[in-house]
Formats: sequence, structure tokens, C-alpha cells
Amino acid sequence: MALSDIAEQLEKSDPSLARYNRQMLWEPIGIAGQKKLKASRVLMVGCGALGTVLANTLARAGVGHLTIIDRDFIEINNLQRQVLFDQQDIADQLPKAVAAKKKIAQINSDVQVEAVVADVNHTNILNYAGGCDLLLDGTDNFETRFLINDVSIKLNIPWVYGACISAMGLAMVIRPGITPCLRCVFETVPPPGMNPTCDTAGVLGPTVNIVASWQAMEALKLLTGNINAVSRYLFSFDCWDNRYQQLNVAKARDIADCPACKHHNYEYLSGKFASSTTTLCGRNAVQISQPAGSKINFEQIAVGLKAVGSPSFNKFMLKCTINEGQGERQRQHELTLFADGRAIIKGTNDASVARAIYSKYVGA
Amino acid sequence: MVAQEVTYLDNAATSWPKPPVVAEAMSRFLAQDAANPGRAGHRMAVAAERMLDTVRKELTEFIGGNDLHRMIWTMNCTDALNIAFKGLLRPGDHVITTTLEHNSVSRPLQAMSDSGFITLTRVDFSPSTGLINPDDIRQAIGPKTRLIAITHASNVVGTIQPARDVGKIAREHGVKFLLDGAQTIGVAPINVQHDYIDLLAFPGHKSLLGPTGTGGLYVNATVKIDELTAFREGGTGGDSASPQQPRLFPYFLEGGTPNTVGIAGLGAAGEYVRQHVPAKTLAHEQALVQRLLDALAEIEAVEVYGPSTAANRVGTISFNVDGYSPQELGGILDEAFSIAVRPGLHCSPYAHKSLGSFPDGTVRVSPGAFNTEADIDKLLEALREVTA
Repeated sequence: MALSDIAEQLEKSDPSLARYNRQMLWEPIGIAGQKKLKASRVLMVGCGALGTVLANTLARAGVGHLTIIDRDFIEINNLQRQVLFDQQDIADQLPKAVAAKKKIAQINSDVQVEAVVADVNHTNILNYAGGCDLLLDGTDNFETRFLINDVSIKLNIPWVYGACISAMGLAMVIRPGITPCLRCVFETVPPPGMNPTCDTAGVLGPTVNIVASWQAMEALKLLTGNINAVSRYLFSFDCWDNRYQQLNVAKARDIADCPACKHHNYEYLSGKFASSTTTLCGRNAVQISQPAGSKINFEQIAVGLKAVGSPSFNKFMLKCTINEGQGERQRQHELTLFADGRAIIKGTNDASVARAIYSKYVGA
Repeated sequence: MVAQEVTYLDNAATSWPKPPVVAEAMSRFLAQDAANPGRAGHRMAVAAERMLDTVRKELTEFIGGNDLHRMIWTMNCTDALNIAFKGLLRPGDHVITTTLEHNSVSRPLQAMSDSGFITLTRVDFSPSTGLINPDDIRQAIGPKTRLIAITHASNVVGTIQPARDVGKIAREHGVKFLLDGAQTIGVAPINVQHDYIDLLAFPGHKSLLGPTGTGGLYVNATVKIDELTAFREGGTGGDSASPQQPRLFPYFLEGGTPNTVGIAGLGAAGEYVRQHVPAKTLAHEQALVQRLLDALAEIEAVEVYGPSTAANRVGTISFNVDGYSPQELGGILDEAFSIAVRPGLHCSPYAHKSLGSFPDGTVRVSPGAFNTEADIDKLLEALREVTA
């Protein structure tokens, strides 16, 4: 179909779609696919590095409705990779979800955006996921990913996993009942502090863009009904060492006795495996407890934390003071970590702030 | 079960373990008689009502009361305190309380004071003795003073307050006396007649060794029913034609189906407590506390709050260790040693202010009826290792 044909057809049906003509020129999408995008609802969990690229791409592509959930405010060190935000957003002290909504309104006012400033967890995720056509992972922690995975299977909604650090990335499409799910591939959440995080090991902007662009491409395929084109592989790369792989994980579904997709036992959505937070009696501190059996290595975590503070530890606990934010929003948090992965985060009474710090600097 | 391995030293919050008879009584009641008490008149309902009244009678006798109908079942001590404060106090009343109080006393009174409903005086205690001076209370009494409300023992430092002296002062001045028995009922003697107590609030889940979700308010005969308003109205099973809450104890203050299963457990717990003699239990807890205090005095990094002797206190002490916040030490004791203690402010911010331990609080250790010297020694060993 030529541009002139597209223009002619849209004249009769939906002239507002004309702005997407370069996308509709691509035959597998076409006008029909574009209309599907307009009619679709997507839940984006997390609006940081991956999330801003995803939101930016999908809003420009004409996805009709985006629900964007994020608990954080924007910091200056986010701007290196979080493409929807700018210095004015920081001056305005905007939460990420709100700033994203504002920016998308400038980019494509036809997109309906619901901005939710909240910690997404097992108590609230179903309120946002119901009625969506797709769930997108813009999170920074495994616990939330396994939660999304449970929701995806329970509600039979596909989701696209994405993760990155330094120059390495991973991404995969999960279609309930068809592909392996995330727990078929990764079984359980890695123990706290076992993996480095972007806030301790760093991350490069292009890495984020590659992962999120891959996720966005799969999202477009899923939402326009181009199911046969959807990747069935775990995409893995290290773009510093120039290694790009497609891992065939199809067999994982047959091999794994997956509690989530085989037994429909939603251990993360039920809260059974969720970390819990308690506002401690005393001054301005939140305790995060991990499910029983976690064990962490202070030495390893201290190495990572040297990037942001001066960690010290003995055989019982690790302490590190972390400064976050700028200007009026500058806050100091003291992280105390115990060997079973529990942490006391001083300097806040807000569980979502504590969870964000834990995800960023300890990782889970 | 993780709990089996834990050395539990947080009995001031909730006692644990419970005597096996408690779970047995609850289980038996659930299986046999767990109908709605009273109301229906069938035999199960009658059995449930009879059980409630049997336990009422036993506990009424236990605290020296003479009318079982004035024993009101509540969901906990906080509930009992709210029923008392909101039922008794009238606009313009002056209330005297202390800085030792738990938030269950402080907060309802503070809210009433903030809204201009009452005026409030908080009498301070001595940080070294952990005691209120009854003369300070006497001096705070004014023409509008309606109520003196104090805790029987500090939930931070465990010191048992001179309740009888305060009660006597109240009675002499025609002021009502409310005693918060949260930390003492089941171990320290309470006698509503002898101690001049008009209102006694208590929980079932601490030293009475009962289940959570149980508690009581004893309204002594010195408080007329017409002096009270019902904090909550609702079904009472009898007198249903009346549009108003029936002016009859206990129903006047007991709208709604009570926690019968819990009260069945509380009954068994109370019997156990009486059989094992509260005075002996208190002596046992005091011996454990003395053992702990003596050893802590030898550890340089430890600062103990309140008096250095176990005499005249329930099994509760508070301390801090140099180099660790209370929360950190609590975390270490739990994580590395499986010892459960309670760090923080213990819902008693005013007490910590007077003790000089605000805002971080202290680590509170509270041995109970089932703790042993070995438990104390295990804690001491852990503290020595942490401070080494």
C-alpha cells in the first residue's frame, strides 16, 4: 500500500491515524494494525531507564492507553539514560510517572496516559493489570518481575521481560500457556545482593535503548496481532564485547515443574514470597525483610556500594550512608544490612522509598 | 517452624509460648460450643453464655472485684482504655496521667485534649527510680480533675508504680482512678477494692497468658452506670425491643458478639496463671532480670535505663549498646542469634524522653513465665560477642 492509498482510506475511517503513515506503510502493521494499537491498553511497570524508552516508543507508535506506575522521583543522574525526562522536571520535583505523562502529552496527545505514583506490589497490581492487553517490564528488581509473571499467567496477558546492567542486556516475551514463563527460566529470585545493580555497577545509555527497543518491537508485534513474528528466544547481549545471542528456551517449559505456569500457584501475587516492610518503632526507619532462607555476602555488596558511599561491615551487619537527590529533595539514607538480607533503611518512614533504595543498592 | 528455635524475650508485648491448655480450650470450644452466646436460647448458645460468665466470674475474683457483670470483655487493653476514657469523660474535665504511659493511654487522652474536650496534665517520673511520686499527682489535682489514669508498671523499664497510694489520693479527692494493668495483670497483685481502683483495663495476651484479641475493663461499683456513655452500641442479645443500648452491665458496654473462642482460651490461661501462683511467677521473672542486670553491669558498652535492681519491677528492662542503634542490635540478635527482643520506643515516647533515650529508644528485654536462666545466658553470650 502506498502513502496515497493510506491517506485515502484514513480519510473515510480515522484521519487521526495519518501521523503514523510511516508505520502503516509496513505491511504487517498497516491500517488494521494501527487501529489495533489505538485500541490497546498497556501496563508499564516502572518508568526509569527501560520504562522511559518503552513509554516514549509506544506513545509515538500510537498505543491508545498507557498506565505508567513508578514510585520514584527524578534525579540528575537519571538523565544520562532516562529519555523522557529533563532538568526542568527535576527543578519541578516531579515523580517519574507524572513527568512521563506530561512529556507524552507533548509528544502525542492522542495517547491516554494514567500516571500512578506508587510502589507496585502484590496488594495493588491486579487493580492496574486488569483489562490490559500487554504488561511491560521496566522494573529494576526480580521480585516485581516475578509478580508481573504471576499476574500475566493468572490474567492470561502476555508480558515482555527486560533487564540491563552496564553493557549487558536480557529480554524475553512471555505468552502464558505458549512460551516458558519467567519462573520456568529463572525459578526463583536471586538472593539479595548477589547481582550487581545499575546503581552499584553502572549502566550505559545504549544498553538501555537496545533492551527497551527490543521489548517495544515485540510489544508492537503482540499488539498488532503479528503473533508469528514474536520472538520465542531469550535475547541476551553484551554490546561492549560485541556478543549477541538468542537462547532457545522453549524446552524450559517442558522441563520445569513451574509453580506459576504449570501449577497456577502464584507465590508472588499471593504475597507468600514477597519481601515485607515494617515501619520500625523509633525514628524514621523502615525494615525490609526477605523470605526466610536468604543469605548475603557483605564483602561482595560492600564492593558495589563503594560506588555510592563508604560501606563498613562486621560479621553481623553492613552499614552505608547513601545520599540521594539534589537541592530541597536531597536526603540522606542510612542502609543497615543483615546477613539474612533484611535491611533497615533510616531516613524515611515511606515503605516505597525504602524498597526503591533496597532495589537500587542491594538488589533483589 | 522457625519459632521453635527462637529465644523469646518479648513477653511485655505478647507472652509466648502459651500453656497448651489455652489452645486446647479454644479448640474444644470451637468444636463443641462455638455458638452465639445467649441470644438464641438453644443449648449451645446457653453453653457459650455460661462459659463467658464463668470466666467473667473467675477473673473478677482474681482482681478483687465483687460483681462479675461489671467485667466487660474487650478486644485488648487499648479497647478497654478507649471504652473507659470515651465513656467517662465529659467536656471540660481535667485528667492527670504520667509520662510513663503507653500510647494506648497517651493517644486517646491527647486527642481529647487537642480537640479541647478535656485538659490534660502529664506528671513526670524519676528516671533513676522509674517511679511516679504520688505527691506530684496530688499536687496536680484541681477543681475540674475527673480522672487519674496511670499505668501499673512501665512497659519500658518495668517498674511497678505505687498504685494504691495514687488510688487513695484519688478517692480522697473524689477523683476517679483508672489503672492500666497491661504489664502487671497475671504477675503483680491487683485488687480493685484494696487499691481504690475505679476502672481497671487489662489485656488477655500478656501475663495472663491468653490469646490475642482478648482483654477486659472492670468497672468498679464506685462508677455508676449513669456516669458512663457507651463507646459503641449494638446487639446485646437481650432487651432487643429497646431502641437504646440497655443500661445493664456488661451489655451496656459490650455491643456485638464477643470473642468467645478467645475468652475460652483466656479462661484456661487464667486458671493456669492462678494455679502457678502469680507471686511465684513474678519472683521467677525478677530473678531472671536480676541475673541479666548483674551481668550487664559488667559489660562496659552497655547502658541500662532505670534502676539497677529487679525489686519492685515486672520482668522488663531496657538498655542500649555503644555503636549500635536499638534497631540494629535487635536485628542482630534476631538474625544472628535467634533471640527476639523489642527495640525502639515501645509505644511510650514520653517515657523515652524522660529516660534520655528518645528518639531512637532502647532495646527492651522482657522474660516471661516460661523463660529460663539459659535464655538469659544465651542473650548475655550474644551481647558479649557483639560488644567484643
